[in-house]
Amino acid sequence: MIANKGRYRGKYVLAINLMLVLFSTFFLTPAIAFEDDEGCLICHKYPMMARVTDDGVLRSYYVMPHIFGRTVHRNVPCRDCHSYIKELPHKPVTEGVTCNAECHSIKNPATGKQFSHKLIYDSYIKSTHGRKKVAEGLDADKPYCISCHTNPLYNPDEDKPPKHIVDRCVICHEKRDFVERWYSHTSRRIREVKRSSKEVFELCSSCHENKEMLDRHVKQAKEEGRELGKKFPIAAESYKESFHGKLTRLGFNKTASCLDCHARQKDYFRSVHEIRPSRDPDSPTHKNNKVETCQRCHVHADENYVALDPHPSSKREDNLFKYYAEMIYNIVGVAVIAMLVGMSLLETIGRRRDGIAWRLSHGSTWRRKSRRGRDRVE
Amino acid sequence: MKLSEHARNVIETSMKHNRVSDSDRDEIERVIANMPDDRVFLQKNVVSDPLGDLPRYSIHIRIQHMLTFSTFLALAFTGLPIHFIEALWAEPFNMVLGGVEVTRIIHRTLAVVMIASMVYHLLTITIKPLLEIKNRCFDIRRTIIPLFKDIRDFKEDMLYSANKRAQRPEMDKYMYKQKIHYFAAGFGNMVMVVSGSSFLFPEFWASILPISMVSNFQELMRLSHPHEALLALLVIAFWHWYNVHLAPGRFPMQWTFLTGKITREHQIEEHFLEYLRNLVEIPEERQHLQDILDSRGLSEDDGLIDKQESESEDMT
Repeated sequence: MIANKGRYRGKYVLAINLMLVLFSTFFLTPAIAFEDDEGCLICHKYPMMARVTDDGVLRSYYVMPHIFGRTVHRNVPCRDCHSYIKELPHKPVTEGVTCNAECHSIKNPATGKQFSHKLIYDSYIKSTHGRKKVAEGLDADKPYCISCHTNPLYNPDEDKPPKHIVDRCVICHEKRDFVERWYSHTSRRIREVKRSSKEVFELCSSCHENKEMLDRHVKQAKEEGRELGKKFPIAAESYKESFHGKLTRLGFNKTASCLDCHARQKDYFRSVHEIRPSRDPDSPTHKNNKVETCQRCHVHADENYVALDPHPSSKREDNLFKYYAEMIYNIVGVAVIAMLVGMSLLETIGRRRDGIAWRLSHGSTWRRKSRRGRDRVE
Repeated sequence: MKLSEHARNVIETSMKHNRVSDSDRDEIERVIANMPDDRVFLQKNVVSDPLGDLPRYSIHIRIQHMLTFSTFLALAFTGLPIHFIEALWAEPFNMVLGGVEVTRIIHRTLAVVMIASMVYHLLTITIKPLLEIKNRCFDIRRTIIPLFKDIRDFKEDMLYSANKRAQRPEMDKYMYKQKIHYFAAGFGNMVMVVSGSSFLFPEFWASILPISMVSNFQELMRLSHPHEALLALLVIAFWHWYNVHLAPGRFPMQWTFLTGKITREHQIEEHFLEYLRNLVEIPEERQHLQDILDSRGLSEDDGLIDKQESESEDMT
């Protein structure tokens, strides 16, 4: 009986497993949301596709088709960027994708040229942040394109367009999925895509608040006798201390964030890629450009106004005046309160000695015998 | 009671300002002479109405106090949660008002009301002395302006509290504590208005200041606004509320800020010189005091004679 029971149980387990396999085969397999004409997913669809690099770092090469299919690069064939791959299986990748390559099979509809990020890259490489894809030493601390551009997996602005709009477009464009794709592609760029002040600060402070990294740069600059911005070591923390920083922390989006001052406003989206130190005459924070920069928001700003410190700090080495002012305020505050409490205690003792009590008064506050020997005549 | 030289000067000035008749002068002198020399003994034996017996604050001052204290507290409870936004306690304060976007609008609106109250007060304290000067009855000792005597009063009052002195000093309508408090509050208000306006109108302040001062001024204002607010709140909580609510004999509160009147007992205790003026200006008070002295057997009939004798000795 026991042996039969075991045999039956084994059959059931086998049947359930078979059903699960069939179910997962037909229903749980990720839908391929982009065209894999080059067959890259033959290998890269496996979650365990990874290796340990010479530096001992585990690198994953797994591509999730259903996730990648929702990114901004979903329509770009893999080898448009990974152009160094000539055969399958390919050789180990050394440099990887660089964003300046004119690698896209997609053409710029305006110019007919191959689509590329080269224009932005050229601006970036000249900026204070500019570096090659593979960098060494202090350059490795600088952000490359993907440090900021994370190729977001989901963008609410890319939700399906309203049905009544698509209904209208398909009359001529015929294919509904074509209309939906291009509508999203176009409208996303028309809508406001700037990061909020808070997001910009979080992005910049991910490096500019890294004390070890800052110390490395300060030390190296000192050794080389190279000039470094006075506020460089405290840029992020002093911004938090500033009026702008405080408003950003409170969640106000109209407040100036890092890029509002450090990037030019007239060509903002390009300028954010070519941040320059304030000693550079082309920088919006250069002393000659400050008035114009501040006037973007503070329309009445003048030469005096730009003397305000947008990166204030109470650190002794940065602002001696504020350091001592804060110290004096703290001392005075504590001393005043201590003195007043002391006076009140002394007065209480004196009044108690006079025979005054904490009681609701009905014509007089004298409630008990005075220790000074002067009492009410009854 | 034999008056001190200062008290004598105060009452003579008051009689001159009020142009008292000879018969009233005699009556005033008689009552004063009948008062016991021991002021503590006198104040213990008068009868007082807790709601107040003698005039102290005009309706204008009472309205200004109401406006100032209500806006001050509301400003503190809307401003501090903005400054300490990340503190655990700040969130419910902000949320209950509809979030920090709403709190800051309420804060600024209340600030405008407080400034209006300050302007109202400045008008009051300017017009009244001008009228008094015009009518030749202005006495600086009756104002809140600090005088050297206040330093002496402070020292003597501390000695009394420490049981090193038999009597509290003869203090005027505004004693040293009230003067400190008034000017601290006045200075604090100015700091809050200037610093608050530097947040709202930084371009204006930058344009009127020398360029070398602009940045330090703005940073000083940013330090001052929260520090001064916190200090003011603590001073109010520890000292003002102690003096008017919590001190033995003042509990649960003085009604002066509502009725405008001070109790007789309190006037004699802390504002004796003003009480002397009350005796000059209010005939009913003279009569009332004389009745108390008679009914309790406190009159010092010899006092007037002694005084007259001493005066005649002085003259000879």
